[in-house]
Amino acid sequence: MPLLDDTDARLVERLVARDERAFNALVRAYERRVFSLALRMIGNRAEAEDLAQEVFVQVFKAIGTFRGESKLSTWIFRIAINLAKNRGKYLRVRRTDAHDELEALDERGPGQDKRENVARIERPDEMMAGLEVEQVVRRAIQELEPSFRECLVLRDVEDLSYGEIGEITGLPEGTVKSRIHRARAQLKELVERALGAKIP
Amino acid sequence: MTDEREPSDDDPESQAVRALLKRSLARDAEDAPDLLPGIQRRLRKRSRGKFFADGWSTANTRTTYLLMGLSTILLVALAYIALGMVELR
Repeated sequence: MPLLDDTDARLVERLVARDERAFNALVRAYERRVFSLALRMIGNRAEAEDLAQEVFVQVFKAIGTFRGESKLSTWIFRIAINLAKNRGKYLRVRRTDAHDELEALDERGPGQDKRENVARIERPDEMMAGLEVEQVVRRAIQELEPSFRECLVLRDVEDLSYGEIGEITGLPEGTVKSRIHRARAQLKELVERALGAKIP
Repeated sequence: MTDEREPSDDDPESQAVRALLKRSLARDAEDAPDLLPGIQRRLRKRSRGKFFADGWSTANTRTTYLLMGLSTILLVALAYIALGMVELR
């Protein structure tokens, strides 16, 4: 059964023919998802923007090798994840603090009551506590092992299936499930420890 | 290495973590920058001007092509008339 629908198949044909308008349309269609995936993997906005641009350059260069054996989005995400992994290694070697932006945003008001139930902060008077939770979660994601982080983000943020995550990461489905399970447990522990509150 | 426990998206713990993640990261996509100009610039540079080198091929409408075609026809017509006038003299 072909994995590409007609729209994607036509788009790929035009991309292979180096149709620049088709490429621009592709960028417009995927730029938000690719950028947010890069940001969640790298944790730094400037690096994520640079990485996301590089993803599309690689897509442009490699589109001739796309065989349609997976969905176009899966293929693009695979490129994004591979580049993010390499960039992450590079940044760690350079000892770049991937939390720069988080720390800048961390200059917030006085601490809130940490006994709040962190999964139900919705009211305006709880906004500050909500911002704090947001920062804690972002920081906790960056503290996860990269191999756990990629599976967790692809599943719980991007809503991809286990099969798609397996295609993107090159891992068997069982390993994907296991990593997601362990990543959730790690994340929960990190967030609860930082906030001093339980996630129900 | 795999975990013996079969993970589920439906258990309350997983659902709570998913909800927390989604809410905490929701704003990332909203604030996404415009990537296209930077990508075009990179491709233009790396392809040494072969791609995204002009404004024509990346324009959003066909107006530019139409204008170019009409201008060419007009130029040819003017040249034809001018040549005819030279011949009459």
